[in-house]
Amino acid sequence: MGTGMSYRKAAAAVAVVLSVPSLVAGLSPAAAQAAPPVSCLSSAIVKETLPNGTTWEMCWHMDGRAGLVLDKVYFSAKRSPTPTQVLASIRLGQLNVPYDSGETEFNDLTDYGFGDGNLQTLTGDDCKGGSVRTGSDGGPEGTRRAVLCVSAEPAGLAYRLNDGDPDTPKVYSKQGYDLVLRSISKVGWYEYVSEYRFGDSGEITARLGATGDLSPGDYVKADDGWPIGKGAKDYAAMHYHNAFWRVDFNIGGAGNEKVEQYDTKVNGRGTMGAKLTTTKTAIAKEGTFTTANRRWWRLVSSTSKNADGHLRSYQLVTGANDVYEAHPETTPDVTFTQANPCEKFATGNADPQCPAAKTILDFAKNKETMTDPIMWVRVGFHHVPRDEDQSPMPLHWQGFDLLPRDFTAINPAAPDGRENVDGQPTF
Amino acid sequence: MRYPKSGWVLGVATVSAFLAFGVASWDANAAPSPKPTAAVEQPTVSHPDPGPAPSAGIGQDALTGNELARARTLAETATLKAGGKDVTGAAGVEYLSAGIAEDGAGRTAELYYYDYHGNRLVKQVVDLAGGKLAGSYAATGMQLPPSEREVRTALGLLLANPLAAELKNAYAKATGQAYTGQELTPTAHIYHALPADTGASQCGRNRCLRLIVQTQDGHILDLDKIIVDLSGRTVARLT
Repeated sequence: MGTGMSYRKAAAAVAVVLSVPSLVAGLSPAAAQAAPPVSCLSSAIVKETLPNGTTWEMCWHMDGRAGLVLDKVYFSAKRSPTPTQVLASIRLGQLNVPYDSGETEFNDLTDYGFGDGNLQTLTGDDCKGGSVRTGSDGGPEGTRRAVLCVSAEPAGLAYRLNDGDPDTPKVYSKQGYDLVLRSISKVGWYEYVSEYRFGDSGEITARLGATGDLSPGDYVKADDGWPIGKGAKDYAAMHYHNAFWRVDFNIGGAGNEKVEQYDTKVNGRGTMGAKLTTTKTAIAKEGTFTTANRRWWRLVSSTSKNADGHLRSYQLVTGANDVYEAHPETTPDVTFTQANPCEKFATGNADPQCPAAKTILDFAKNKETMTDPIMWVRVGFHHVPRDEDQSPMPLHWQGFDLLPRDFTAINPAAPDGRENVDGQPTF
Repeated sequence: MRYPKSGWVLGVATVSAFLAFGVASWDANAAPSPKPTAAVEQPTVSHPDPGPAPSAGIGQDALTGNELARARTLAETATLKAGGKDVTGAAGVEYLSAGIAEDGAGRTAELYYYDYHGNRLVKQVVDLAGGKLAGSYAATGMQLPPSEREVRTALGLLLANPLAAELKNAYAKATGQAYTGQELTPTAHIYHALPADTGASQCGRNRCLRLIVQTQDGHILDLDKIIVDLSGRTVARLT
């Protein structure tokens, strides 16, 4: 997916740490988990099997403010056939749009809403080749409309391996596919695509696309805009899209995930080159965090293990991300908070039950010990308009990936002939 | 020595993958159409029949029409309405929205109302299975996105205000015709006062909207500077 290179770098770096005892503690086989219980109406279930045998199953609904919400996300695969829960839920947590002029600012989830009347009925090529699903638009009357697109889409080369057999060399080479769920919300002149891509090796990508039209009212002086149209007289306003997602894991259905931060630093030299050391920092209490070179976070189950006896986890992989440091609440890259039903939106939270909890900074302020961590991921995109943005504006995307780490003992889609490769080969 | 052979094998795999993608993405417009390769994996998804509207949901399903009606009956108590005003100024409160409670046990609905008399946002928590009101909370200075009736009311307030001249000018500029009451399609969002605001500094404590108005022929009228204060039933122009 989008940031594939960073996966490989991180995987290579952490290989150093795999001998840390805590990571291999306990060697009991994976606890068998029952098939997912029926947890929503059949019309709200998305259950699809991709060509390599991977199945994703989840429930969906629309919220008036958040738009598309995915609940109870389960994964199973050819080499890992028991459906195992990954997420309790995932959805957007805010879309803050401040203009560089300092004159205008919007909060598209909490002041407009991605559901209800702003949620678009799908038409045209919105869901080409996919299946359009009908359900409530999340509005005050619960109007049922065709609002969700479910499709399976090629994801490029999934893997490639020449096994180097001296007599009969074999090349394993396979196309990958994603199960894609998307909905579209029109907010003012912009149209936003809420998209979740579930890969056939267990990766999840959450991203937000922006299309529609540039705001016709927001043309500014040269300093704060970019000249579009003939000559240099119409300066379309530069602005930010500060998106937040709210991610609630429930790994293996066991809950109680721990948050860990990993950092890898240059630590002297070995006999050939630089020596790098990777360290783990346990994050037990609520707080806000920023990215750094080779820094990553994961949410690791306290009890759910894969068949190798490793605790299952998912890792946050961030990519392109413009920080909007003009607001304290849009400065952290990720915020971990203890689950609280009152804390619905990363900014502009408006629940009369907890009037003091207005932003993620309020949620994290008391540094509560987390037993059910919520991960708030912020990804910013500073949009400098260009001639090509009119019209319609080609989609621009921002988002992040969730990478399974030790969720399964081997590649869950390993082809026949590779299913026994697990650990250092013997020669 | 094995390198060239492996390279050739990869070449075949790449070409067939390319053809498969081509078939999938080019649709019927592709000509001449390449013959589909046997045993090519085609990604497909199911096309389930949505069926009739469900009467009730399970777990975190969206509230159904039936559940919404029942939840409103349970939420709209005499206590809720007492002393309140809706967006038209009539006694009662304005219904804004409802949703299924996150991580709620069973079917728990959260319904939101606005009391224009006290400028209060009210959350009514309804236990649908138990058939009872489970909680009631109110706070000032909190705004949720506007309902359709609030947006229509805001347009009405603007049209009845001297600042309607701006809408009429924008209409004439966009359509080439005078505005004489033609149908308009409004949408709106909540406006919170910015520190430098003049004329709308009460917005946030009061419930204020900024309108986006579309004409029947699709023109959008620029009313960015016009703020309708539904609480104060006034219209202001940002300077």
